[in-house]
Amino acid sequence: MLLNAVIIILREVLEAALIISVFLALSQLLNRNLWWMLVALVLGFGGAYVYAVNLGQVSMMAGGTGQEIVNACLHSLIFLCLLLFMISVPHQQHVSWRLLNLVTIILAVITAIVREGSEIILYINGFIGIPDLLSPVLMGGAVGAGIGLSVGVFFYYLLVNMRRSHGIWLGYLILLLIGGSMVAQAVEFMIQADYISATTPIWDSSHWISERSAVGQLLYALVGYEATPAPQQAAAYFISIGVLIAAAVISYTIRGRTP
Amino acid sequence: MKVILVCFGLILSYLPVAHAGPPVIEIEIRDHLFYPDTVPIPADTKVKLLVKNLDPTAEEFESYELNREKVIAGNSEAIIFIGPLPAGEYPFFGEFFPKTAQGKVVVE
Repeated sequence: MLLNAVIIILREVLEAALIISVFLALSQLLNRNLWWMLVALVLGFGGAYVYAVNLGQVSMMAGGTGQEIVNACLHSLIFLCLLLFMISVPHQQHVSWRLLNLVTIILAVITAIVREGSEIILYINGFIGIPDLLSPVLMGGAVGAGIGLSVGVFFYYLLVNMRRSHGIWLGYLILLLIGGSMVAQAVEFMIQADYISATTPIWDSSHWISERSAVGQLLYALVGYEATPAPQQAAAYFISIGVLIAAAVISYTIRGRTP
Repeated sequence: MKVILVCFGLILSYLPVAHAGPPVIEIEIRDHLFYPDTVPIPADTKVKLLVKNLDPTAEEFESYELNREKVIAGNSEAIIFIGPLPAGEYPFFGEFFPKTAQGKVVVE
């Protein structure tokens, strides 16, 4: 039970921790103060609790596909935030762009916590009536959360302590991968809910890197690795990364032209 | 008149088929176990899984092979579409209680 709790909580925390740490580091590198983090954490956990409590009802909405729709929306929202973040970064001298930039960061962190936090709350809630299991689950959960947060802290210090331009580039790169992963997961939920027709996987790399393995899990959290993705998922992944790159490049070019 | 009625009857008799959608297969979760734990489905056919969680605790239906993950709150049910799939075995498990909650979809 203990080991299982470690793995479950680690998996959920890792994804959210990665998004949070990269945004924290980029905020630091772009000379923003970090008070927003507190707001986002409180709102995120509040939202996660509300989602977890209502998950049963949400699931049965839209002919039993409510959960997929909400999750796909949450993932798409994170992608949208990343997109607007990348567009707004080059225009930080304007107050309105600066504000938009801050809003996208806060919204992305809130959404990531709602998505991952709700599953943690549901998981732990199940053990509240079972005192024998509750303490190992809480202990395992604390270890898992600790490891996940450590990875986040590691990325934060890695980015902050690099040369400033390198840190920003690496942060951007990680955001690109997160963006691709978010859209690919949204598409996966749409397939699961049968709004997009499933087809045979475009490749099968489960013999090389199984999604069950530690490496597979880590790659899933970092780059959205799937051993057997549907063609639509793979297309969504690469197209959304392309869109993010194009948006960032265009935004920088426009700033370069305006005096 | 009779011909029209017969035609109408024929059309009606076909309607339910047109609206039937994918076949529904029920799976129950009881005491953190799947019943049945082996789910046979036909090859190259889309199937609608109706997973009823009869436990008071939440469970997450998860399968790497099927690319599916869905949290099912305690005492509630969930719908998960799978397939069309080529023949083979596709394990699934309950992420919250993986020691006991194990099963597989067998496509034949």
